[in-house]
Amino acid sequence: MEGSLFEEAEFFRAVARSGARALLIGRRALIALGIPVLTVDYDFWLHIDDIARFNEAVEPLGLLPTHTPEEARARGRYVAQNDERVDVLVARSVPTVDAVRVAFDEVWPRRLGLEVAPGVIIPVPATADLILTKRFGARPKDLEDIRLLEALRREEGQ
Amino acid sequence: MRRFEPPTPEALARIRALAERTLSGEEFRAALAIPLGVEEEEESRSLIRWFRGRYPTPAARLAYARRAYRRWAAARPG
Repeated sequence: MEGSLFEEAEFFRAVARSGARALLIGRRALIALGIPVLTVDYDFWLHIDDIARFNEAVEPLGLLPTHTPEEARARGRYVAQNDERVDVLVARSVPTVDAVRVAFDEVWPRRLGLEVAPGVIIPVPATADLILTKRFGARPKDLEDIRLLEALRREEGQ
Repeated sequence: MRRFEPPTPEALARIRALAERTLSGEEFRAALAIPLGVEEEEESRSLIRWFRGRYPTPAARLAYARRAYRRWAAARPG
């Protein structure tokens, strides 16, 4: 992980400046909200029309997309990577394991802005929406993360 | 004391497959229906309180996570 000159703050700054509608999801979002978990990668849910904008922003940092925007739209996800790995979900809506469709356009207006570096605001889904995104993958670790997010909600009195 | 033998690549692959498998809707709902015990709940909330108190900003939390990952990766056997 230390082979490249990747700077997390620069990465987030580039994403924020790009104007792409990109929600930080996954465990990195849990960490930013205040849940101490371990992760290696970054996960974003990106508006389907903003792929090129996102890629242009992160390519100068050496993060190269595995698929063209057209391919990514067809597949619903792609990866931008070098020594770091950024998983990008690009779907207008995604079903949860229990068949609830979660639409990007409904989640986006409820987003929270987190200052992840001085003057750099990155959006994350509202906690209830972040819990829904954890039902997309439905892996054992997603269960654990949902429990922690629910504990966070109770801690915040939500 | 017996020397630690790291798991074989095959064993690691099996563990990874188990951890990364997608649960069925039924399995997922059943697991979530089990309420957290009082102690587990308090432990989770205490961990969150500590983390948010020790690292009060998202930037500090993210920086901590990168350091923690590097420590974990460096200590990983094999």
